Parts: sequence; structure tokens; C-alpha cells
Amino acid sequence: MAGRGRGVKTGTLTQEQLQTLGCVGKDMPQVAQAPPPTYPPLMSKPVTLETTASQNYQILWKEDFLNHMRDSAYFLQPIEKSIAGRGVSRYNPKQTNADQCIKLKPRTEFNWSLMPAELQMANKKRKIVPKEAAVKLKKTKPGNIEDRLKVLEEKEQTEDDVDAPNKTNSDSEEDVEEEVGEDVDDEMDDDNDYGNAYFDNGEAYNEEDDNLDDGPVY
Amino acid sequence: MSIDYGNLCSVILKQCFGETVQLVGDCLFAANARSLGNIVKSTNLTRREVSTALGILIKYQLVTFQANDVNPFMAEYSLKRDEILYILRYSRYVHLIQTKYGSVGAAIAEELLYSGSQTASNTLLKCLSNNEINEKVETIRDTFVQMIRDNYLIKLPMLVPTESGEPELVPKLHIEDYDLFNPPEIDLAMLAKVQARTVQASQLRDAAVFWQLNFKRFHQDFRDQCMISAVERKLGSSAAECFKYILKQMYERTDPWQRQCSNPFTVVEVKQVVEKNSSNLDLIRHLDQYVALLADDSLHFIRKIGEMGGGQYVVDLAPAFESLALACIENVITERFGSKASRIFRVVRMKKYIEQEDLQKEAMVPAKEAKLLSYNLFQEQFVQIKTIRKAGGGGTGPAKAFYLFYLKYKQIAKMLLDICFKALYNDITRSNYEKNEHKRLIEKSQKLDSIVATMKERGESLEYIAEILETLTPPEREILDKVKNRIKTLSKAELSLDDTIFLLQMYLYHSAQVSVAPATKK
Repeated sequence: MAGRGRGVKTGTLTQEQLQTLGCVGKDMPQVAQAPPPTYPPLMSKPVTLETTASQNYQILWKEDFLNHMRDSAYFLQPIEKSIAGRGVSRYNPKQTNADQCIKLKPRTEFNWSLMPAELQMANKKRKIVPKEAAVKLKKTKPGNIEDRLKVLEEKEQTEDDVDAPNKTNSDSEEDVEEEVGEDVDDEMDDDNDYGNAYFDNGEAYNEEDDNLDDGPVY
Repeated sequence: MSIDYGNLCSVILKQCFGETVQLVGDCLFAANARSLGNIVKSTNLTRREVSTALGILIKYQLVTFQANDVNPFMAEYSLKRDEILYILRYSRYVHLIQTKYGSVGAAIAEELLYSGSQTASNTLLKCLSNNEINEKVETIRDTFVQMIRDNYLIKLPMLVPTESGEPELVPKLHIEDYDLFNPPEIDLAMLAKVQARTVQASQLRDAAVFWQLNFKRFHQDFRDQCMISAVERKLGSSAAECFKYILKQMYERTDPWQRQCSNPFTVVEVKQVVEKNSSNLDLIRHLDQYVALLADDSLHFIRKIGEMGGGQYVVDLAPAFESLALACIENVITERFGSKASRIFRVVRMKKYIEQEDLQKEAMVPAKEAKLLSYNLFQEQFVQIKTIRKAGGGGTGPAKAFYLFYLKYKQIAKMLLDICFKALYNDITRSNYEKNEHKRLIEKSQKLDSIVATMKERGESLEYIAEILETLTPPEREILDKVKNRIKTLSKAELSLDDTIFLLQMYLYHSAQVSVAPATKK
């Protein structure tokens, strides 16, 4: 640009230019050096609120209602929040408390017949357990443990009887058999209330979504 | 619907149903109707989360759905925007029922509000399991039926069975108007069996009939109360009682939600009702004068239309709420700009159109101050300016123009309503902030209270209890008291704001022109 020499101020208007534009010195806005106050100053004091018995009743009831809703199954938090950091701090006591709270919440009760079917379909638990696994799980009910042990004992005895004449096996082979037996017992004792096949690591979420996005097949 | 109202709805949904429902609610608020896939895409939530959130909103009657016009197998969901605000009034509804039907009625209303909608039998079962209610099941059932007869409870639309008998992908729900307040058949013997767990709850005869609070009926009562208390403040208790009986007589022949004015009634009819129900001798003796007083008053609650039957009158709902709303606006102006500004506002209201110079003379306010105040009012949109240009002038100089101040009542009411929504949003947000900020302290004091209560039950020594109470240190107690006080003030402000919102909403409803196709009402 022409006229821009050394020592010439650029970027701002000169006093004369401002005056021609109609801005007189005192009208110039002051440079803001601090943010404005969060709350504007009150010109007058607000009216004090009356307290009546009915108001007190309503305030207390509302507090109860909100607490009830917060503890109910109908209070939903996004999954990331409710189980956030599970992988990072697995043994965080706070986290386990939060998990307990989620578990303690009663289950939601919806009357699906009065709602579109797509909502129910999305909420259905998908059973991807193969039949054999289901049968296996059924066998490992805690009540049947003693019966099962007896059956196994009898089986062992009969097997021993059968194998007695041929008992030339080495100790190492016996150990292998015991180990197999232990494996079965392990599943019965430790994992009796936890179905491995039901475990959902969360990776399948999107896959389900993709399948369902197209809508049901008619 | 304004942005402020959207924010308010959002924070109410978050407070009651959590963040997921809030996100879904926000998404639905922005559009008239959306499909499930659309909501999933816009909220970035999983399909299951969105479905559960929608299920909750449908259960609590905050969302409706209908089949898409093009694809009848796809549902479109829309938010009942007005009804979200009703959540803030739940405590008021319960209080009204408490005063009318006692604790049993309150327990029924509470159960219905807690679960959104419920069958009669389930509500009764839940009330029976409530430890605070020691009434017989017959009493609870009778109260429930009475509440239906008084229209405080309303039947929800039921499933329309298909021809093939198979459920439809998007179920159709319908209910006839005559069936809305039809009491259900409650089999107490079966109920006892369900309670003893010998029979499933689904086998009950009314398992498919759901009930909800009829909010319109409550609003009718609030509206009446609003008018009666206004008459009481201005003309005394006898006039208020007289107006109460006038309203009672009005409902005999008028739809409660008729917009402009009621159907006519005569003084003789009111006299009969008063003599039958009232013990106020002053009112019985001077009923004619009280009715004339109400008709002559500047509130314009009733208007004389004929001489038949000792004088024929109508209740003028539109002008009544206009005067109430204007009184409210005047109060706001007095609090914000002072009494002189309020005087200027009244002068503009009286004169309808007025120039600046006349205004300062009429209001008897010094010229400079009047100018400042009227411009302030104009800036905040409490008064409007109409420019009338004088014809002619040509190129000889600037054309002369008159600047007249005038009022647009509805615009002011809408603006105030928005301010109220914004204030309510700020109030709830601040209250939540206070609760979160001092969560640890509040929880500690709650825990302490419950421990002390159990100790007292057990009969522990006072010294020991005092020792336990000392775990909350004096500075902590001081902070706690301050926080509790602040939250209580915010809650009270919430109630007062809701009162103002209700009044302004009533004014806007009654001042609206009667539409050709009347809106469907519950």
C-alpha cells in the first residue's frame, strides 16, 4: 500500500479520521482489560419469599421424588459414565461401589405391547449360547454337586474295577486323569453363578447395531 | 417454543431420568418427529440405550409415537413438550390431592407419578405395601374410584386389536371420550391372591387398563384458585366465596376449557347453590350486591348480559386473565424499574396510544426522568413505539413524524414467560451445582441423621448420641446450614416462578382466538 513508510502507524485510525467519522474523544469506548462481572449489580434487593406450610410440603415432596427417581431403574446414565475406567482402575473401591449401585437398581418394567416392537427388539437380551454349552451349564447347578460327586465316585470305582487287571499304568497317567477331573470340578465350584458364554466384552455393540439399523426383515 | 424452554426441558429431564434420556429428549425437542434410527444417529448413543430412553419417556407419557405415513411399519416419536414442565408441578398436584382426599389419595397420586402410568390393581397393591398407609383395601379402592369420578385420574388409550390377532409393529392406541373416566372393575379377592402370590398380577381383570393423573383437571383447580384468591385480596372473603359458587354454577353448563367466556348463568341459580351449600349469612343476605360488585369491578371477572332470572351473567375468562397478567407485569416492572416506571406503564395502558410529552404530563413525572424510564421500558420491550409519518414535507426538510407509545400485551406476556423459563433453568442449574459441590457433606449429614434416628429407637444414651453428632464439626455444620438454606430458597423461587408461568400460560390460552378446528383435549 502506498504511504506506508517507516514510523507510520498502521492498523488504527488517526484522531482526525475518527473525528470525521463522528467519534469525539470522550465518546471513545474504553479498552476492556477485564471480563465483565459474572452477575450484573442488582439495582434493588429482590423481594423475600414467603414460606407457607404448603410450600414446605411441596419442597420436601419434590426432594423425595427426585431421590426416588435417581434410585429407580428409569434413571439412565450413558454407559461410558456408569462403567467408565473399568479397564484402567479395575480394583478401585469407588468403582466397585458404583457397580453395586447399578446392580442394586430394580429392573425396568415396560409394557412392551403398548410400544413399537422395535424398542423391545433392541432391548432383548441376545442368547448366543450354543445348546451344548447350555446343557453343560445346567449340569453344574450348585444343588447337584453332591449327587454329581457321588456319581463320579461310583464311576471311578467301577472304572477301577474294570481296569484292575490291567493296572500296569504309570503314576504319570493317573495324574493326567486327576487333572481332567479337577478341571470339571473347578467349573462346578467356582463358576457356578457366572456363565462364561454370557460374557459380553462390549465389542459386539456396534455389530448388533449394524445388523439392526436396516430394520427388521418383513 | 424458545431456546430457553428447550434448555429448561433438557435440565428437567436430566434431573429426573439421567443424561441418556436428556440427550434423547434434546434430540426430539429439536424436531417434530423422529424415527429410532434417526435418534440413534444424531445422539451417538447405542440403539439399546435410545430404545430404553424412549421406553421410559413413553411410560411417563412424555413421548407419543405413530406410524410413519409412508412406511406404516416404522414408528415416529415426538416429544410432548408442554408436559415436561408439568414434572415441576408434581408436588403441587400431590398437595392438592392431599388436601382433598387425605393421605390415601396422596399415596395413590404418588404411586402414579412415580411409575408414570399404572393399572388400578397395581396401584392399590403398591399402596397396600406402603407402610405409611394403614387403611383397608376397600378404602383405597373407593378413594381411587372417587378420584376417577372427580376426573383427577384419566384412563390411557388402549391397544386396538388387529384383525389377524397378531401384534402390529407399531401398535395403535385409542380410547373413546365416554370411556376416559369409566371406573375399572377391581376384584378384591383376586387382589388378595396376588398379594399372597398365589396368582400372577397379569391375570387380573384390569391388567391392560392404565391410569394417569389428569393434569388438565388439576390446572382447572389451580386456575379457579388463582381467580378466587384475586377476588379475595381485592373484595374480601365473602365476595371470594360468592365467586367460588359462580364458578361451580358455571361448570354445570360450560366446558372448563372454553377460551373466551362461559355460557350464561342467572343470579337465581347461584342463589340456590349458595343457600344449599353455604353457611355464610352475610353472603346469603347480600348475594345480589356481591354479584353486582363483581360485575362492576375493574377485574372484569363477570359480565352482565341480560335481566333474565334476576340478572344473567357470564364469566369472562379472557378479560379476567388479562387483568391478572397485567397486574403481574406491573409488579415485575415495579421491581425492576421502580414505581414511577410502573405508573408510566399504567398510563400507556389507559391511553392506549400516547406521545412522549403527554406521557410525562399524565404520569406526573419530571420530563427527563419520564424520558429515561419510558426509553428503558422500550429497550426491555415492555412498551412499543408506533411511528406515524405526516404526509408531505417533500424535499424541504425532514418529514414530521409522531412517535406513540403503546402496549402489545401478548408479546409482553410471551417475553416474560421466556424470562421465567430462563430463570427456572438458572435456578435448577444452581441448585444442582450446590448439591454437587457439597455432596459429601450432605451425604455425611444424611448418614448421621439415620444413625442417630436408629440410636434413638434403640434407646441409646443422650451423651453417646451427642458424641456421634459431634463427628460433624461446627464449621461443617455451618456450611451445611448455609447450603441447605440456599437450596431451600432456590426451591421456593422455583415454586413462585411456576406460579407466574401458570398465570401467563392461562392468559395466553384464554386470549388466543378460537380456532376453527378445536384442539383435541383429554
